[in-house]
Amino acid sequence: MSTTRLQEVLICFGKQKQTDIATANTGGQMWQLRKLNAALVNPKLNTENDAEEFGKGHEFPTQSFQTSWDVNGTLEKYLGSEIGAWAMAYGLGKVVKSGTTPNFTYTCTPLIPASGDAAELPYFSFVEQIRPGAGVVIDRMAVGCVVEGWTLTIGSGPGRANSKINVEFVGSGKATEPSGITVPAATLEKLLPSASLALTINGVNYVSNKNIVSLETSWKNNVRLEGGFFPGSGFQTPGDATSGAIRGRLEFANRQGMLKFVARFENGSTELTKLKNQSTGTAVLLLTYDANNSLEITWQKVSFSMAEVGETDGIVTVSVECLPMYDSSNGIVSAVAKCNVDSICQ
Amino acid sequence: MTDERVWLRPPHGQGEPKQVEAKPELLVPLMIAGWSQCEPPDTKEEVKPDVHD
Repeated sequence: MSTTRLQEVLICFGKQKQTDIATANTGGQMWQLRKLNAALVNPKLNTENDAEEFGKGHEFPTQSFQTSWDVNGTLEKYLGSEIGAWAMAYGLGKVVKSGTTPNFTYTCTPLIPASGDAAELPYFSFVEQIRPGAGVVIDRMAVGCVVEGWTLTIGSGPGRANSKINVEFVGSGKATEPSGITVPAATLEKLLPSASLALTINGVNYVSNKNIVSLETSWKNNVRLEGGFFPGSGFQTPGDATSGAIRGRLEFANRQGMLKFVARFENGSTELTKLKNQSTGTAVLLLTYDANNSLEITWQKVSFSMAEVGETDGIVTVSVECLPMYDSSNGIVSAVAKCNVDSICQ
Repeated sequence: MTDERVWLRPPHGQGEPKQVEAKPELLVPLMIAGWSQCEPPDTKEEVKPDVHD
């Protein structure tokens, strides 16, 4: 019997968004990207039993019931223009696409319900396969997934690992097995390397002064998982009340943005002064592959909430945590993602 | 529609769509204010038969 090794796993997921939470992406709407993490997206069945019920004559369960389904997963990847655009579009939720081949531009912002936007995030399907077909090991599709959050980490050094993205996602619980999807050919990804970084935070260009050491920025939607189950939200098998409930909506709750960085600290460094003065400004980071592939994230207004002097490899550095704040005109964060790929989150 | 300009519909779908330059400094404030991308409005004019035919 042959061993199944995880290197065989293929993933593909919705490049285009689903029309609604329950309608799966078609194969033509999906793309295959590679990933770094081994974890699989196992649909989890929650059960309950009748142990607490009186009348059985004992305290032991005699029956088990399928209650509900959960799906969650993580994509850990080297940061490329394609996954960058996808994560910003699905993670923030609002997208305007412009441009033509080979330069599509996706301008992304968070959804603002107070301005009439939905609280539901765009949905996608996620497929995992190992030897689909006659010798299938795994072939399943999670339907109705949304991005829970993303984290970009930029480090010092030449390797690809110095520019990474982690995307967490959660699903409605609906799963289709077999998926019925033929995984498309792998997408050629354009790396956005650490060495391409341009970075200005609160009025300081940390690349031109050669002081940036590392940076991390993230967005979290804090999706209301329990709120997805409402009367009538549906079942794993439509019409079968014994098959376990699935979610009928996935909405964000109180969202959180984060930006922190480590920079060399020297005579004239302003981080401690700006912390004391609570100075505010934008934070703009740009990573570039070429003119048609880049990712620019702008935190519209940040102050420093923590600045602590320490050391990195024997050099005096300052660790700074920023407080992203809401600007009345431009909101809290925006992303401009350029890549060669059309129809992301459309 | 040129690709450097995009159509946006107003918040709550109330009012007429407008075309704006696809520049982040223009798009972001509108998106935050509730404007969303939409298809270009149907600009086909009614064709009336030529009365002289």
